[in-house]
Amino acid sequence: MISLKALTKKYGDHAAVDDLTLEIKPGAVTGFLGPNGAGKSTTMRLILGLDRPTSGVALVGGVPYHRLKEPLRTVGALLDARAMHPGRSGRAHLRALARSNGIAVGRVAQVLEMVGMEPAAGKRAGALSLGMSQRLGIAAALLGDPEVLMFDEPVNGLDPDGVRWVRQLMRSLADEGRTVFVSSHLMSEMQLTADHLVVIGKGRLIMDAPLPEVIARSSLTAVVVRTPYAGELAVRLAAAGGEVTRTGESELQVTGMAVERVGDLAHEAGVRLHELRTREASLEQAYRELTESSVEYGVRG
Amino acid sequence: MTNTVASEWVKVWSVRSTWWCLAATMVLMVLTALTLGGSAVTEQRQVLDASGPVVSATSFVQFSLVALAMLVITSEYSSGSIRSTLQATPIRGRVLAAKALVVAPVLFVAGVVSGAVATAVVYVVLSAEVFGGLVRLEPGALVHDLVTAGVFFALVGVMTVGTGAALRGAAGTLTVVFMLLMGLPLLLVMTGVPLALEISLRMPMFAGLAFMGSADNLTGGPIPYSAGEGLAWLVGWAAVALVAGLAVLRRRDA
Repeated sequence: MISLKALTKKYGDHAAVDDLTLEIKPGAVTGFLGPNGAGKSTTMRLILGLDRPTSGVALVGGVPYHRLKEPLRTVGALLDARAMHPGRSGRAHLRALARSNGIAVGRVAQVLEMVGMEPAAGKRAGALSLGMSQRLGIAAALLGDPEVLMFDEPVNGLDPDGVRWVRQLMRSLADEGRTVFVSSHLMSEMQLTADHLVVIGKGRLIMDAPLPEVIARSSLTAVVVRTPYAGELAVRLAAAGGEVTRTGESELQVTGMAVERVGDLAHEAGVRLHELRTREASLEQAYRELTESSVEYGVRG
Repeated sequence: MTNTVASEWVKVWSVRSTWWCLAATMVLMVLTALTLGGSAVTEQRQVLDASGPVVSATSFVQFSLVALAMLVITSEYSSGSIRSTLQATPIRGRVLAAKALVVAPVLFVAGVVSGAVATAVVYVVLSAEVFGGLVRLEPGALVHDLVTAGVFFALVGVMTVGTGAALRGAAGTLTVVFMLLMGLPLLLVMTGVPLALEISLRMPMFAGLAFMGSADNLTGGPIPYSAGEGLAWLVGWAAVALVAGLAVLRRRDA
């Protein structure tokens, strides 16, 4: 569990993270979304105590990060896969990390195997591809078998197999009851992986909701009705509070109304339907709507 | 703390730069001591302790060990691995202390070992007849010279770690450490101003020479204080650098 309370980080007058209050719960994959410069990486650095907040607090399992005695056993994080000494082998990097937290050195071989990096573990980190560095970074995050995991853009540089592997890994970590907090720009990937979404823009919280709710709230999620009596049904639906757009001779799109209600109203009106379905917005569409308004807000504010 | 030191220990031995710096130290020490010893016996025609040139050589040889100590901290900033280090050990003072605790013994041993090898080479070479048999090997002097040279390197290493933590970059750290160790003391001596000379004599170079018992202030006069005071000045410089490094490390975002 990660809790942020009025977390704020200012660089001069500019607030990179602005009054962020939220909880990231265990047993779920929480996607962390926002445009470049929205403050995602800064938020993660604040959680890890790498940056000091201007005000507010970030707690992991109820305590500030620096209070954790052997933090790698509680929190595993991958912020920047390239942040390794280029001359040190992956294995030595992990061994140094294991030593620092009193983790048995045998665990290093285990995590290397988990991420499929065993054959390349002796290579100098500077000679690894981005994808391999990414795997090594994930191995480092898993080292202490932590209950909280944070990943900043974990699929960067991974091939399609790697991307699928990361998706399954996140899923299984969450299913084991761990807290998984992951940022990504790849909306299609998030839509497949995340249970819950936190969206920020200009350092501020825009949305903190389950993925299905984010999709449902999008204006692009609509009920599509095809009927020969489109005009008649449109009047009826509008009177019942739906927002109706006529998209064709015999087609309507209705928002603000569940598909069941649309069907019931049509039945009551005795209107024959040829098609009745829900068209869901993609996460990408929902996200774009959300962050567009954040940009507007930012300009005004 | 033990864990953090163990981690830093793994780190220092898992990069090639450490081995390069140690190899360079060995080569530099032997060559410098041989050169200084050779010129001492040929010019002054007096009996020389074979370990004596090691002490004189420290002023030159120290820089390959400064590089080693510097890389222990500045490479963390240049590669970004400082973030993973501080994630593993969020108590920052502990990280800096562990680095100093690893650098100090490594540099001490490097000084003793390279000094011993250099002494042996100096003794063997200068025993040749052409040098007039003016070299001798005296156990008391040998132990004293090697141990004090080792301690000098260890303290210079700690000072470098502190400076590196304060400045973060390699270029800045090397410049500042070089100025403190050699540039400034020599400049101050050259000014000829008495106050400048007094300050210069308290800087690590002359404090080190006083501590190691090679008490010549380069202007022909003696260093006006004891070996013990020399050690105290050295410890002081290392402590100030460490405190400066700690202050920056604790306050600034990583």
